[in-house]
Amino acid sequence: MGLLRYTTYRFIQAIPVLIGISILTFILANLTPGDPVRLMTQGQEVTPEQIERIEAQYGLDRPLHERYLDYMAGLVQGDMGHSFHRNRPVTDLIASRIGPTLLLVLSAYAFALVTSIPLGIIAAKRRNDPFDHVSRIVALFGVSTPSFWIGIMLILIFAVQLGWLPSAGLVYPWWSPETYGHSGYFEHLIETMRYLLLPMIALGTLQMATLMRVERTQMIESLQGEYVKLARAYGVPERTILRKHAFQVAQLPIITIVGLNLSTALGGAVLIEFVFNINGLGRLFYEAIIQLDYQLIMGITMIIATMFVIGVIITDIAYAYIDPRVTYGESE
Amino acid sequence: MAVGESQVGSGSEPAEKEVEARTGWRNTLKKIKRDTTARWGLYVIGFVLAVTAFTLVDSNLSRFTFGAISDFALAEALPVLEHPERLPAPGEAETNQPPMFHADGSLSNPLGTDPNGRDYFTRIVYGAQVSVSVGIAATFLGLVGGTAVGAIAGYYGGWIDDMLMRAIETVYAIPPLILIIVFTVFVSGGSPDVRFAIIGVGIAFIPVFARIIRSEVLSVREMDYIEAARAAGVKDRNIILRHIIPNSFAPVLVYATLQIGVTILIVAGLSFLGFGAQPPTPDWGEMLNTSHGYMHSNVWLSIWPGLAIMITIMGFNLFGDGLQDALDPRIND
Repeated sequence: MGLLRYTTYRFIQAIPVLIGISILTFILANLTPGDPVRLMTQGQEVTPEQIERIEAQYGLDRPLHERYLDYMAGLVQGDMGHSFHRNRPVTDLIASRIGPTLLLVLSAYAFALVTSIPLGIIAAKRRNDPFDHVSRIVALFGVSTPSFWIGIMLILIFAVQLGWLPSAGLVYPWWSPETYGHSGYFEHLIETMRYLLLPMIALGTLQMATLMRVERTQMIESLQGEYVKLARAYGVPERTILRKHAFQVAQLPIITIVGLNLSTALGGAVLIEFVFNINGLGRLFYEAIIQLDYQLIMGITMIIATMFVIGVIITDIAYAYIDPRVTYGESE
Repeated sequence: MAVGESQVGSGSEPAEKEVEARTGWRNTLKKIKRDTTARWGLYVIGFVLAVTAFTLVDSNLSRFTFGAISDFALAEALPVLEHPERLPAPGEAETNQPPMFHADGSLSNPLGTDPNGRDYFTRIVYGAQVSVSVGIAATFLGLVGGTAVGAIAGYYGGWIDDMLMRAIETVYAIPPLILIIVFTVFVSGGSPDVRFAIIGVGIAFIPVFARIIRSEVLSVREMDYIEAARAAGVKDRNIILRHIIPNSFAPVLVYATLQIGVTILIVAGLSFLGFGAQPPTPDWGEMLNTSHGYMHSNVWLSIWPGLAIMITIMGFNLFGDGLQDALDPRIND
């Protein structure tokens, strides 16, 4: 019962932050020196009458706070404004591009979790032997190498030199196989994986390395805990200790870090989508920035920040669910 | 909302930590000297900083002394804006020379040349100047801003603390790379360059530093000597500047070292997308952006700048790891 209340509480707590984000993006967008119209029409000849008309159309002739309230009123109804360059509602544009980004980020996380946790545990268990040293060096490379460069190197090796995997684009699993001319769902799935593999590794390596380091440290600490000593004294088999006693406690910080690292992953998605030519939110953001399409930029910033906030809430709830020591909220 | 409260750890045993931080400095230094990881980190950082210093001296000193830029800089590595005549005309230069170990390579261009015929080794060396100094400057800016915000929030408490912390959570909620790009592009009016990038990165890093400082300040604030200063009628501003900040600074400084690596990583990404250093300024991220278009014709162009970034960041990470091991009493052999 407490968990439900805690969940509601956390979501209500997020509202001021979301309002804050909308104010911040709005202020940033209006920090531009000179008038936004000049920015929007860069490189085009415009008459003063045209400028006036655009200003009126976008409400730019009104005071800042009025425009913000208007923007907020729209946001609440799911209207994020209008893209000047694409002449389409921002909400539509974002909706059409959010899928690939989610696919990319989630698969990168899956890759990171599946590799980092076993490796971290083995490294902790075999502390200071060659396996530990190698995995620590791999982790060090992982946290020190820019994700986009890993992407470029992967393309050079697996696409350009070996020709095994495609270097750009994605196959969307939610589209029907016929769209791509695939014979069936199996081929469709294989193709999806082939396209996803390189960007997934490029984006996931940093996460993998970070999580592997944390997992190793946590397991070492956990294995030194009093309860592990007690279990050993009672003659509990080492495997059971590792699986039950040490493992569960060590996972708690991992959950928190998974949530917080979403910030890096979402930022990284911009770079990876740029390198691999993936038509996701990150690439849309890049294009919007290049075109100075400021309603679109504001919309994407809002959505990405919201995704991060929701991700953190979900991990917080998972944490509360797993850790028996956490009391939900302040009332209990 | 408490995004990331657990990341910084709101100072569970602040008093203990404080004592350790103040008495442990000499001990820590000794441990760092003994720690192989930290030592290697220091070597790498030292090397990179030396290269950076060399480029600064080379590009500035010789210009002032001889009224011209040095031979090394003349290899068209410097921002050529001042010497446009040194840029080879399109099609005129021997473009895209491979590195020296390649059959067609030559010793005079150890890493080959870029598509404009500029020596790639020189550009990599000069790239350190922008990449490293931007990384350090931006981290420093975040440190100063974060210290100010964190100290004020922690010292005054109450509604000032609440307001500042809410603002910080908001900034923190936008992924740094996104925030920096939006800031840089809007504030520069659509023509981004390094100066705006530094400010943007600084702002994006205020939250992390502010949180650490704040939790330190919360513990220092309760110390007897602060009480004494207040009783003696010392102004708040002086208490914060003379007593609170100096006594809360040690852990932040350690964190800042670690953060430089992260900053260099982000700035490289920024330049790679074209929102950081602008050509012809040599910058590792910017060079990767340019070489992206030549991936099929000259593989090497994409390799060297990435290696340079990786080695630099690895230096800061190694040092930071060693520092953390030395400071963390929980993990000991």
